[in-house]
Amino acid sequence: MNDFRLDKEPKIGTGFTTPEGYFDAFQQKVMQHLPVQEPKVIPLYARRRTWMMSAVAILVLALMVPAYNTFYKNTEEIDAASMENYLAYESTISQYDLINLLDSEDIQSLDVDLALEDKTIEDILTNNNNLENYIYENE
Amino acid sequence: MQDEKDFIKALLDSKTQNIAFEKLLADFKRPLYSHIRNIVLNHDDADDVLQNTFVKVYQNLKNFKGESKLFSWIYRIATNESITFINAKAKRNGQTSEAFQQKQVENLRADDYFDGDAVHLKLQKAIVALPEKQQLIFKMKYFQEMKYEEISEILGTSVGGLKASYFHAVKKIEDFMKRD
Repeated sequence: MNDFRLDKEPKIGTGFTTPEGYFDAFQQKVMQHLPVQEPKVIPLYARRRTWMMSAVAILVLALMVPAYNTFYKNTEEIDAASMENYLAYESTISQYDLINLLDSEDIQSLDVDLALEDKTIEDILTNNNNLENYIYENE
Repeated sequence: MQDEKDFIKALLDSKTQNIAFEKLLADFKRPLYSHIRNIVLNHDDADDVLQNTFVKVYQNLKNFKGESKLFSWIYRIATNESITFINAKAKRNGQTSEAFQQKQVENLRADDYFDGDAVHLKLQKAIVALPEKQQLIFKMKYFQEMKYEEISEILGTSVGGLKASYFHAVKKIEDFMKRD
């Protein structure tokens, strides 16, 4: 086939054949096995019902939000004494860190007149190992 | 146009649907079978795809808006069903679609429903070596003798694009056929 031109050659078919009676049998087979068409019925009231249900749902959700906030408030109020104990004994924050966090207002409010007996003062001073450090700091 | 509009109306009306669908079946089964068989090559596969196609057409009639001709819409469904079928079968066999289709051509020699000779077989081998879209266009033009406008409506490719594809397909096939 030295010079093969498709438009010059006689038409070459597919070579495909079908079984005898195929197309008649096919027609019957398809008509007998057509899927059942269910008619789409949209009742008139359904649309309104959907709107009403949506409105009710939104209302319920809207009411639930403040109710949830009232009953399931997560913040517990911690009393001052518990907080102080925690800071003094449990936390890893040092005294110096705490002092640094105080502003001048806080410091002034700490100024409390303690009625201390002289003996008590003497005991404190004797037992405090950091006395020298405090004297140096204040210089 | 009006005939087609009336026919579509009859297909969509539940009172006349079955009779109208039976006419659709009678009109389209042979050309649609040829179209599908050209793609899948094997009779049993073509039978499966043809059935699937008509079921899909029946189920989707209510969605047919009449924006395209009934003919193009049905052929589009048939083409998509054929390609999907091939891809699924290839995947099940662990092959690419190309390898699968080449195997299908090899199998034609032993096929009960193929009575072609060496030339027919060689032409099928030449076609299966083409890119998928070119194969489709060539088969629809050469075997099915469809007009370019009809092919354009089915495949969504411009007439100019189709002519160019067909020209390239013919050149490659002629080169293949010249080989020993």
